Amino acid sequence: MVFSSVIFLFRFLPVFFILYYAAPGRMKNFILFLGSLFFYAWGEPVYVLLMLFSTVTDYFHGRMIERFRGTGKAKIFLVSSVIVNLAVLCFFKYADFLVQTVNSLLGTQIPLLGLGLPIGISFYTFQTMSYTIDVYRGEARVQRNLLDFGVFVAMFPQLIAGPIVKYRDVEERLKNRRADICTVSRGMKRFCVGLAKKVLVANVTGELWTAVSGMNPGGLSAMMAWLGIFAYAFQIYFDFSGYSDMAIGLGQMLGFRFPENFNYPYISASVTEFWRRWHISLGSWFREYVYIPLGGNRKGLPRQLVNILIVWTLTGIWHGAGWNFLLWGLWFGVFLSLEKLFFGRVLAALPRAVGILYNSFLVLMGWVLFALEKPEHILGYLRAMFGGNGLADSRALFLGREYIVPMLIAVVAATPLFAAWAKRLETSRWGVGAALYRLGEKVIPVAFLILSVACIVDASYNPFLYFRF
Amino acid sequence: MGEKWNAAFTVILLSAVILIFTAADFAREDRTFSETENRVLASRPKFSAEALLKGSYTEDYETYVTDQFVGRDRWIDLKTRLELFFLKREIGGVYLGKDGYLLEQHLPEQYSEETVEKKLVLLDKLVNDWNARVMLVPTADNILTDKMPANAPYFRQDTFLEQVRERVGSQHYVDVFSALEAHRDQEIYYRTDHHWTSLGAYYGYLAWAEAAGEQPWNYDTGAMKLASDDFQGTLQAKINTEWERESIYYFGETEEMPVKVTYDLRNTTDTLYEAGHLETKNKYGFFLDDNHALVEIETGNSTGKTLFVIKDSYANCLVPLLLPHYDRICLLDLRYYNGRLYPLLEQYAAGGDVLVLYNCIHFLEDFVYI
Repeated sequence: MVFSSVIFLFRFLPVFFILYYAAPGRMKNFILFLGSLFFYAWGEPVYVLLMLFSTVTDYFHGRMIERFRGTGKAKIFLVSSVIVNLAVLCFFKYADFLVQTVNSLLGTQIPLLGLGLPIGISFYTFQTMSYTIDVYRGEARVQRNLLDFGVFVAMFPQLIAGPIVKYRDVEERLKNRRADICTVSRGMKRFCVGLAKKVLVANVTGELWTAVSGMNPGGLSAMMAWLGIFAYAFQIYFDFSGYSDMAIGLGQMLGFRFPENFNYPYISASVTEFWRRWHISLGSWFREYVYIPLGGNRKGLPRQLVNILIVWTLTGIWHGAGWNFLLWGLWFGVFLSLEKLFFGRVLAALPRAVGILYNSFLVLMGWVLFALEKPEHILGYLRAMFGGNGLADSRALFLGREYIVPMLIAVVAATPLFAAWAKRLETSRWGVGAALYRLGEKVIPVAFLILSVACIVDASYNPFLYFRF
Repeated sequence: MGEKWNAAFTVILLSAVILIFTAADFAREDRTFSETENRVLASRPKFSAEALLKGSYTEDYETYVTDQFVGRDRWIDLKTRLELFFLKREIGGVYLGKDGYLLEQHLPEQYSEETVEKKLVLLDKLVNDWNARVMLVPTADNILTDKMPANAPYFRQDTFLEQVRERVGSQHYVDVFSALEAHRDQEIYYRTDHHWTSLGAYYGYLAWAEAAGEQPWNYDTGAMKLASDDFQGTLQAKINTEWERESIYYFGETEEMPVKVTYDLRNTTDTLYEAGHLETKNKYGFFLDDNHALVEIETGNSTGKTLFVIKDSYANCLVPLLLPHYDRICLLDLRYYNGRLYPLLEQYAAGGDVLVLYNCIHFLEDFVYI
């Protein structure tokens, strides 16, 4: 089930929350767990069993690690847990990719499995791994209650597209949480903002990208190619960050506090900064569970660079089973390394605007690798961007004019400007300003909600990009 | 107002929006058909374990809930207004042109050279087999180019029609494009519908008469009769927001001519015009009772000539003008006819004239000859 659907907004959401708020304390986790299973099974009636398998396995591993703490057996159970999680992930996500690669390298004819990717598998396997690792390290207490652990894994707000919640971030609140009215109100507003980002901005800029990517890259003018990749950049950002906002908002309505996932990434002045602002929960997962255990920056510069490249290779293929995703990860790995070596100091000395241009350019080039999967399409598209097929054409002028308003809204909304205005009004000593804020914080979410519903009812066009991961 | 009360007010407001629409949606009854969208809405899917495991049950259920959602037409209207606010000039495949013109979008890439070639081969064969005349009408986007949004892409029908002329030969070709282009400043296309008007059809008729060597009947364009002044056509339905209403005219002279019309070999009547359609959304159906597979018209003339027309709905407002020239006119709409065309022509068209009358787009999409 996706959040931006009639079935979620006007069936699941009201029924679930009425039951949830009406239920007494201990029953809440039970309702949340059942509701989450229903939510997941709605889209994946078979793979819901896989998720349950994953839950039970890691619950068991956690218990065993605790039981054999201090002995070699604890380590065996940790390794076993990581292997099971990675095996599940690799089998469903990468098996066909590996088979295809082997076939094309060796000329073999091994048949493909043709399995659909279970929704959210990349997210929940990472969450459960963080649990057993943290229990092993003694950074989280073992969870003895299978239901509470099930809630951690299956919880519907972040189940299918993150943020990737570490167990210790929610450990306390699995048992003990209160949603006071102020938090619930913030959560609801956050949800409406996220819904609008997804439906009113991402889907609309996505239409423009669909129009451009549907054309033969060999015939695109430079203007068309740039228009397309800007549209894609906005689509993926507002899609994904909108989804995170909805997840965080729903979490607040339940009394959870999920980590922030985006912090205006497109205003970054270096790639290093970009990755501190983009998909924060994934970056911090890789830092904590891969980069630092590999030695991070404590074993000398050459080793650090190797570590960076390992992390970015993994980050790349986490996003999808394809060479283009690997390349996309390495693309960032290389520039992150350069920035570590010397370029970061150069950038810091330059005006911030130069850094923003530099980063935007690299990120946009990255999106070309990310969005187009075939090498000939990628090369053709890059050629078009640099004027290989002329600078502009009437079609590009038409589409540019068609989407000018949504694109300008997207540009402004990708900066902290709106938030800064809201903050200024909220804290204004001027009575009218504060009154305006109080009015706006109610009218705007309602308007967002209603306009989004209009688009959802109208649209056959409602794809969620992040379902592939 | 304290912090808590303020928060409570927000919570109540947003919950109310969700709960009110949810309640209203549970209270409404299912519709089978949407008049404004002109399509059957999804109905509640049948439950089966197999469909559930395949995932098709939940998918169908979502389509059902979205299709039936309370106030569907108003939501879609709101979406259109949002797009207008975004200053869009193309909504749902319809260009919002100048002077209130809505023009159907036909992108060049939708009609590949292969498609065109395939259709031309069939057309050429039909023309050779039956000595047919070809009359392909350009759509509004190609004639009313000055009404189109700046730089709006469209499939170029002048180049396509040039190919048609070359293929079938000038003696079989009726040049409607030039005839309409010469009168582009008149009301030759509807503003809210994808059809040409009776006036547009009249200029098409003159071009036909010239190509066929016929003396055109003396129709009076200054004395056309009003059928409806309350028309909002298919293009308005596509964007589904209120648009200026317009008029449907027809040539009163054609009403005076005695006819016997037989629809699909069954229903017989004595008029080309079905006023009942003027009470519905689909008012263009006034002409020749909307769409039928086969229509036979007996005129009571004694010209000794018959005509067989392979056509789309563009023909419906032109065919009445052809009455004085024939004893019998048969119309065939391939979209509603499942059989082969050749034997039908053997039965109905032997010894008479054959005319292929489509707009360019419907021709490319629907024409077949087997």
